[in-house]
This record gives sequence, C-alpha cells and structure tokens, in this order.
Amino acid sequence: MNLEKVLMAFAAALAIGLPALATAWAQSKIGAAGAGTLAEKPELSATIIVLVAIPETMVILGFVVSAMILFGV
Amino acid sequence: MIVRMSKVELAGPRELLEKVLSLLRDTGILEIEPNSTGFINKIDRVYIDSYLPDKSSLSERLFLEDFKDRINELLSYLPRIVIRSGYFNPQSIIDTISETLQKHLLACRGLYRRKEELQKELAELSRYNIFLDAVEPLLSGLNKSPDLDFIGLTLKDHDAEELLRRALTHLAGDRYELLTSNAPDGTQAGLISVNKDISDRIKHALSDKNIPEMKFPSAIGGLTFVDKIGFLKKRTSEISDELDMINMQLDSFSMKWGTIYQRVKEWIDERLSLFRATASVFVTQMCFFIYGWTMSEDVTKLRERLNKDFKGRVVLDELEIEEEDLDRMPVILKNPPYFKPFELFTRILPLPRYTSYDPTPFIAIFFPVFFGMILGDAGYGLFIIIVSFFIFKKFREKQNVADACRILMIASLHTIFFGILYGEFFGEFGHTLFGLEPVFVERRTAVIPMLYFAVSVGAVHVLIGSFLGLITAVHRKMKKEALLKLMHILLIISIVSIVASLFGLFPALMTKPVILAIFIITPVLLFTGGLLAPLEVIKSIGNIISYARIMAIGLTSVLLAYVANHLAGMTGDIIVGTVVAGLLHLLNMVIGIFSPTIHSLRLHYVEFFNKFIEAGGRKFEPFKKADKKGGNI
Repeated sequence: MNLEKVLMAFAAALAIGLPALATAWAQSKIGAAGAGTLAEKPELSATIIVLVAIPETMVILGFVVSAMILFGV
Repeated sequence: MIVRMSKVELAGPRELLEKVLSLLRDTGILEIEPNSTGFINKIDRVYIDSYLPDKSSLSERLFLEDFKDRINELLSYLPRIVIRSGYFNPQSIIDTISETLQKHLLACRGLYRRKEELQKELAELSRYNIFLDAVEPLLSGLNKSPDLDFIGLTLKDHDAEELLRRALTHLAGDRYELLTSNAPDGTQAGLISVNKDISDRIKHALSDKNIPEMKFPSAIGGLTFVDKIGFLKKRTSEISDELDMINMQLDSFSMKWGTIYQRVKEWIDERLSLFRATASVFVTQMCFFIYGWTMSEDVTKLRERLNKDFKGRVVLDELEIEEEDLDRMPVILKNPPYFKPFELFTRILPLPRYTSYDPTPFIAIFFPVFFGMILGDAGYGLFIIIVSFFIFKKFREKQNVADACRILMIASLHTIFFGILYGEFFGEFGHTLFGLEPVFVERRTAVIPMLYFAVSVGAVHVLIGSFLGLITAVHRKMKKEALLKLMHILLIISIVSIVASLFGLFPALMTKPVILAIFIITPVLLFTGGLLAPLEVIKSIGNIISYARIMAIGLTSVLLAYVANHLAGMTGDIIVGTVVAGLLHLLNMVIGIFSPTIHSLRLHYVEFFNKFIEAGGRKFEPFKKADKKGGNI
C-alpha cells in the first residue's frame, strides 16, 4: 500500500515535472527570440505574448494529469 | 465597439474644391479614399479623371515646400521656449516674411555656428578645469623665479605621491619642490618646480614611469606655466560670457519672431495638406468628386454643414457598401465609460477588421470574472481596492495608470464576491475571526470540484468564442466557413458531453446518441474544413483544458494564505506572528495581482479571441489639421 502511494506520488511528480521542464525550455527559446523581435518591432507585442504563452498549456495539462493521479479520478 | 461607418461621395463645382477641402479639414470627420474602385461606375469612368494641379498650383506648392524647409532650419537654431499662439493671417504677410526670412536665417545661422564653435572649445577647456581649480591655490606659495620650470601632473592617490617624491629625490636631490592638492574628482593635482637645466630629464623620467605631464593646448605652448593657467582661466570666462551673449540674442530673437514663424509654418502645413488632399480628388470638366469614409452618425451633420456653407451647390451622397468594400473599410473603436479602461489591454492587439468584433467589451466582461475566480479572497480584494483607489487619486492625470487602477478596482470587486463564495478572507482568517463559511466551495480541499468548475468555465468561454466566429461567418455570407464553425461547435459539445459522462457528470444514457452524432458530424467537418479541420477541434479541446489554470493558480494563492496564517500561529507571539502573516499575505497579494492578470489575459488572447476576432483592420484616419481631434462640426 505504501509502495503504491510512493509510486503514485512519483508518477504525479513526473506528470507535472517533465511538462514543466519542457515548457520552460520552449518559453526560454521563444522568449529570447521574442525579445529580439520586440526590440525591432514593438507593435508585435501581442503576438509575442501569445507565442510565449502557447507552451504553458503543456504544464497545465501535466497539472491536470497529476491531480487526476493523486486524487484518483 | 466598432463604430458603424458610411461610404460617401461629395460632388460640387470645381471652383469650390479648395473651400470644400478646407471645410473637410476643419471638421476632421472624413477620411478621403484615394482609390476610386467601388466608387465610380464603369460607364462614368470615361468622364472622370484624377485631379491634376495647374501650373500656378504646382509652383505655389514648390514655393511653400521650400519656404517650410527654410523656416524649419531657422526654428532649429532657436531655443525651445514656449511660443505664444498667433492669431494673425499669414497669407497677407507671406511676401514680407519671405524677404525677412533669408536675412534672419543668415543671422541665426551665424550665431548658431559661432555658439557651436564656442561650446566645442569650452568642452575642450573643461578637461583642464579640475586640474586648474586644484592647482590655483598652490600658485600663490610658489617661487616664480625665471630659472625655474613647472611641471603639472595628476596623481591617482597618496601612494603615487610618495613614489613620485622618491623618484624626484633620486633624480634631483633636494633641488625640487612638489606641491599637491586634492581635486574634486578624488585625484591629486601635483605641481613640481625644478631648475630649467634638469626639467627635461625629469619630464622624460616621469614619462617612462607612466606619470604623464599635464599637456596644454599647443597654441599656448610659448607661455610659462603660470601664464598658461592664467590664459586658460581667462579664456574659459570669455567663452562663457560670449555664449551668454549669443543665447540672449537667440532668446530675444525667438521671443520677437518665434511666434510669427511658427504661425507661418502652421499655415504652410495647412496649405500643403490641401495640396496633398487634391491628389485623392477626381474631376470632370465642370465638377469635382471626393470619395471617402465617415462615421454614420456624422453623415447628416456633414451634409447640413455643406448645405449651410455652399447653399446646396455641394452634395453629399451615402453610397451602398458592397462586399469588396468590407476589407478596406477603416475601423474606429468607441466604448462606453465602463469598458473604456480595458482598452489598455486591447491596445496592444492588432486592430480588428470592420466585419469583426472589438475585443474590449469581451475583455471588460470576462477579465474581472477570471481575476476574481483566481484570486478569490475577500480580504485581498478589499486591500487591493483601497490601494488602487489611492493610486488612482494620486496619478489620475496619467491615463495608463488611471486605467490600470480602474481595472483593478473592478477586478477587486469580483475578487471580494468570489472570496465570499469560497469563504476566504486572508485565507481562513475570516473563519477564525468572524466565522466566515464557504457559500460555494472550499478551494483548499475541493481540488477536483474546482478543476471541473474551471474547465466548465473554459468550455463555456471557448464555445462563446466559437459561436461569435459562426455569427461573423454568417454575416459575411461565407456559407462553407459558417458550416465548418457550426460543425466545430457541435463536435466540441459532443466530446465534452462524452468526457463528462465518463466522469459521471452527465447521464451515461446519452453517450450512445452523442457518439452517433460524432460519426455524422466528422465527415461534414472534413468536407467543409479539409483534413486539418479535426486538428482545430483538438486545439479547442486543449484550449478548454487550459482553463484549468484558473483553479491551479487559485490553489497556489489559497495555500500561500494558509501557510501565512499557520506560520504566524507557530511563532507563539502575537506581534511576531502578525508581522510574519502580514509579510506573507503582502507577498501573496503582489503575486495575486500579477499572476491572475497575466493568465486571464492569456486566456483571452490565446484561447478566446482567436476563435472569432479577425485582425488586420485599418485605422480610421480622417483628413484634419495636424494637432486637432476630429469631429468638430
């Protein structure tokens, strides 16, 4: 029973941790490119915000899966 | 809201063209369309041509452009002072001004160039000022015998002075004198007096030890050290006096003539804007035609004004807007006072097309709701509303700050509302203090119900967006696009229903008919949207799940509030506990302003607006005076 709990907690941690790393990596690349773009074309700020925000969905999906594992949905 | 526009045609006799353009510029409510496509019938094209200016108009335009360039040059030499408004008519004095302008230009150019030369020389001399100021008091104590030579230098610190003394003793024994003084920049100014016969040897030795001698301008090389210092002081003072004199002359000239030249320049700008506008005018042998766009609410007012000023000789017709006009119609956004502050968020978005929607009302309605759902603490809401009210009072004249405060005040009201629903007042402090109980759900423990709630809100929000996209397609009479959007909506509803029934939130009995519906919808979707259409549906499902952030970020906020209260309780001291709790709650509130704002905006920009808002609108730019707001009839 305890081992099962440990494995579930580990699975939940992986479910949110890996997408979080992936999101961070993607946002670092997009953010750097976006900052360069904004220096030349400030009018593209909304587009850049949208582009930076897109990978966040990964970590939210990870969070949902993690919550489902932990709460046994 | 996107203001309703009208497509209009103005026609009148050619001799009234200039007066009509002048009136249009003064009213500032009509955007002149240079492209006649869609305005002139094919049959009439034979008789209507673009307006070509005659010889005298062309020469007047060239003269005015040259005149404006010369005035601009003159004004660039003058100091930036507040210029009084001039109310005279420059047309009557333009010839006189033309004669004086050349004379004034030469005089001011000369003064300005001399000023530049002096400023350059002063900047060069200022390099010596620090040294001179430090050395000047030492001069009085010096033996000014003609057999002595003086070497000036700058030392970095006291250690350097010691090293220098040792080197000088080694080179000249006791036949030298070294005086030092602290300079304002932290360095030391040094003055060595030695006999002329060994001064060269010392200069070389200093140079070898990287202690450079203070070099003076080559023009005063023949003077003695003391005379050089005197000369530099005197020259600096002379330059400052001459600069003051030139500035005074330029100020005086600016006070006397600045207003006149500024007014003439404005008049020339107005004349030139009329000439430029004529390039968008069309003519027959007898008449002129001006085509353009104006706000529908202004059509009657403009027509009445034209009738009044030209006694019915100039007519304004409202033309029918055709399908191909929709893509080039200019866009102007106008919102009621409640929605207006939210333009702060939509200003960074590209302008929507005329046939699309203004995103401002949507963001004004949903943003505060999402903000409140995420932060959801009555205490935090109360605190933010008070702080934003005081900031608003202090910075009311700064438009962006005032708008941000108004938004925060509205969002805080929603935060208080959701705080009462969640039973949160600085976390569970409200429960301890006055027995506040959750009306709706306790977020800290009810993780899964909150997740369902957040995703349900997402489903409704995304579906509203998709439905608005469907309405846009129907309005634009794009049947295939409308059918695709409809299938898209139906498929999302079906998928959401199946998922809900799997989690026991929807009667399982309904599952089979819904699956059947999916089998019918999918081929239609593929037929209308192609192979990539199902991908759009998957994207929309992802968008809906993305709303889980409402619950996720809210959970972090409530947990931080919980930690703040419990950490305060663990200290066992009322004062320390209050400080700890206060600091943590303050941190939570700061995060609680930024995080919900960014995520609520993201939900709008990424998940919601891309369902129905078509970017690419063209801003309405009426023909008007440069410094004037439009709409003055």
